[in-house]
Amino acid sequence: MIGHGKNALSGLVAALAVVLLLSAIPASAAIVGLEGTSFNLTAKAGYITTPDGGSYLSWGYANGDGPAQYPGPTLIVNEGDTVTVTLTNELATNVSMIFPGMASVTAKGGKKGLFTREAEPAKNAVTYTFVAEKPGTYMYQSGTRPELQIEMGLFGAIIVRSATQGQAYDSEDTAYDDEFLFLLSEVDPVIHEQMELGMENMVDNTKWEPVIWMINGRSAPDTMAPNYAPWLPHQPYNCMPNIEAGQTLLIRLANAGRDLHPFHTHGNHSTIVGRYGNLLESVPGAGADLAVEEFTVQMVPGSTVDSLFTWTGEGIGWDVYGHQSDINVEPLDDFPGPGDVDHNGDGIVDWVDMMPHESAADHGKPFPVVLPDPTDLAFGGFYSGSPYLGLLGNLPPGEGGLNPKGGFAYMWHSHTEKEMVNFDIFPGGMMTMFIVTAPGSGGAMPMRADGSSVEGR
Amino acid sequence: MKKNRNKRKEQGMRDTRFASGLCLVAALMLLSATPAVANVGVQCPPDTDGIDTNMDGLVDNDNVCMHLSAGDGYTQMADGKLQYIFSYSDLTGIEDMDMALMQGMRAAVFPAPTIYLREGEKLYLTLTNVGMMDRPDLFDPHTVHWHGYPNAASIFDGVPDASIAVNMGASLTYFYTSPGPGTYMYHCHVEATEHMQMGMLGNLYILPYQDMLPDLTDLNGFTHHTNNKYAYNDGDGSTYYDVDFPIQLGSFDPDFHDASMGTEPLPFALMTDKYAMLNGRGYPDTVGPDRIATLEENNGVNSQPLNSLVEATQGDKVLLRLSNLNVTRFYTLAVTGMKMKVIGKDAKLLRGPTGLNLYYDTTSITLGGGEAVDVLLDTSTVPPGTYFLYTTNLNYLSNDTEDFGGMMTEIRVTAGD
Ligand SMILES: [Cu+2]
Ligand SMILES: [Cu+2]
Repeated sequence: MIGHGKNALSGLVAALAVVLLLSAIPASAAIVGLEGTSFNLTAKAGYITTPDGGSYLSWGYANGDGPAQYPGPTLIVNEGDTVTVTLTNELATNVSMIFPGMASVTAKGGKKGLFTREAEPAKNAVTYTFVAEKPGTYMYQSGTRPELQIEMGLFGAIIVRSATQGQAYDSEDTAYDDEFLFLLSEVDPVIHEQMELGMENMVDNTKWEPVIWMINGRSAPDTMAPNYAPWLPHQPYNCMPNIEAGQTLLIRLANAGRDLHPFHTHGNHSTIVGRYGNLLESVPGAGADLAVEEFTVQMVPGSTVDSLFTWTGEGIGWDVYGHQSDINVEPLDDFPGPGDVDHNGDGIVDWVDMMPHESAADHGKPFPVVLPDPTDLAFGGFYSGSPYLGLLGNLPPGEGGLNPKGGFAYMWHSHTEKEMVNFDIFPGGMMTMFIVTAPGSGGAMPMRADGSSVEGR
Repeated sequence: MKKNRNKRKEQGMRDTRFASGLCLVAALMLLSATPAVANVGVQCPPDTDGIDTNMDGLVDNDNVCMHLSAGDGYTQMADGKLQYIFSYSDLTGIEDMDMALMQGMRAAVFPAPTIYLREGEKLYLTLTNVGMMDRPDLFDPHTVHWHGYPNAASIFDGVPDASIAVNMGASLTYFYTSPGPGTYMYHCHVEATEHMQMGMLGNLYILPYQDMLPDLTDLNGFTHHTNNKYAYNDGDGSTYYDVDFPIQLGSFDPDFHDASMGTEPLPFALMTDKYAMLNGRGYPDTVGPDRIATLEENNGVNSQPLNSLVEATQGDKVLLRLSNLNVTRFYTLAVTGMKMKVIGKDAKLLRGPTGLNLYYDTTSITLGGGEAVDVLLDTSTVPPGTYFLYTTNLNYLSNDTEDFGGMMTEIRVTAGD
């Protein structure tokens, strides 16, 4: 529907342009969170917002005196660490924390609850300890009335880093260049409104129906705003990773919601090497020999998946970098010289070098079709104007602008497309853009909407 | 076997002999960031590389050309309801734009025309946006998203935010190599929630090189014969099949479609599907090739030409290419009378990186939107009779309020000689 849809589409571009004017897109892919072995969290209330203008009372774990966070702070620890989490409660109801998948969990202080010890309002804190025995991606969440408190926002992720730096697990076939978290959740605003109005007794979980869907606590296009964007004080985590072609991104997926979500990675399959903090190996020491490649990862409630994603453009059948050197171009005088070789085996020596990770078979191959006249096309905000990676092309005035390094943008989203809306506005929801830039580009796109460069956070 | 090939001909559309079209040797300048641009129609360059890349023995037939329209049309649900849709229609062979618009308008097909390729083939897929005849207020662009294409270039990925989409009255040609055997799917990605709920979804799969091996090739103890077919390049014949059936799960929310036809606000977040289907039909239409008449409202084009009737002779190995492109929920499928062996997921043979066999037997398969599996049914010990492939989300065994229908089809096993 164009009246609605086109406005929404240009709305996405406009919203992003505002976002980018105000601050930088994060420079590459890294997980932001708290590092260490001892954490002080406080349960408190705050308001989360959605791109359609919604504002909802939520509960969240805060870092000490900081604002309530949706999701709670990502706790980044190392394999083998004994971790202590001290929970203080500023809410008017008992809260607690549980750590699924962690070993030797103990709780001290507070009051005995059903799942674990609970912190009472304005009383002494509860101290939880656990051992981060195995590397992987985990979640923590409230163990007190979880059917209400997790909906309200009392959940977060735990990253247990492998003893070997740069690997997801203690196996070299899980090595990565960058890592990123994708923590999925849903929101049913009715429950939040009832809680705000003090109508907790009206909350009816049999009528639970989410109409807001999030990654890292934000709905698109807020997913693409920077970390710690000042206008999202209770939703600090961004979700817009980018890598250079040939790099490997460790995707840490976690589903904190109650529905299944099919998470689709445009651009390539990813290789699932771990689930629930377990390396997918047939026997100890085998390595990830049970790994599978999928283009849509089935995210079951409570599950975590560690998956490796890379992109090189191999097999496309044309030179993705625009090195059409073998046709209609006169070589330089010193050609062929040392280092000039026939990469693609077509019998003609190439005088344009290959990019790292470029497919030799496709080097120099022409773009396969003629593109229509610009008046026949609608252009996306992330289109650089050129089909080639790392290059910019001409665009009609007012088009493009979100992709100053000429990267390839891929939508990563729930393939339950109903979840790609904010209420009745498309696009939004459980969706973000992932960007691959050319090798050597800095692996990032620090920029402003006017194209000027700014430093990443 | 023969029947299946015929069916494939009729439902897939490809014409490798269709070799005229534009000459595409565009004079590309070094590092020119914008390739040649022109007012273009169907692009279908002849295969002149002199190499037999699809391994069928012929050097000049590796380019596959297709021409699809994107527009609107009508389907009929199994309870008789006329359902307004958006989808694609097959215009392959039509180059004249006036003719393409005439034939493509209000002629959508659901699921969209099946695309299949042989490994080694290149696809030039021209998409012509014919507009939505019964929504003259709409000027939506459309795209093709080949869901699951590995190492995709964003220019051909069909996400309008990331690249380009084609406006009404114009054509855009997508280019794809065949990236490996298995079951993929395709759909429009413009205003994806809406255009996909409205029906812009289709089957897409790739046949492996292994089919083309010379007669009597030894595959680790399994002897290949000419005309043998496999799901993957398995190296051991373990994905051999006699008959195959692409079956796409989908479902419609009639309130959404009615709101679309009535130019009313669209219920996005509260979208609730009430027609659960296989290949665009609810049971019993899933088993009847002729049950759905060509609708007058659909420009004389049969809008639901693809049944899901699985027919096999006892002893056959049956390959089900299952994909899910509904936009609201997960569905679980089961079969009666036999077990399912899952041999592939998301167009990848189920083997670990070291070659470990990860096939598994199961009685149910759960698929979310955008997931695909390849399933083998071994009928060698299955008594002749009629069996069922059906959703175990039993409330979806219905066509809206009409009970006993929905996401179900029959598997008919007949006695061999
Ligand atoms: Cu469309
Ligand atoms: Cu898709």
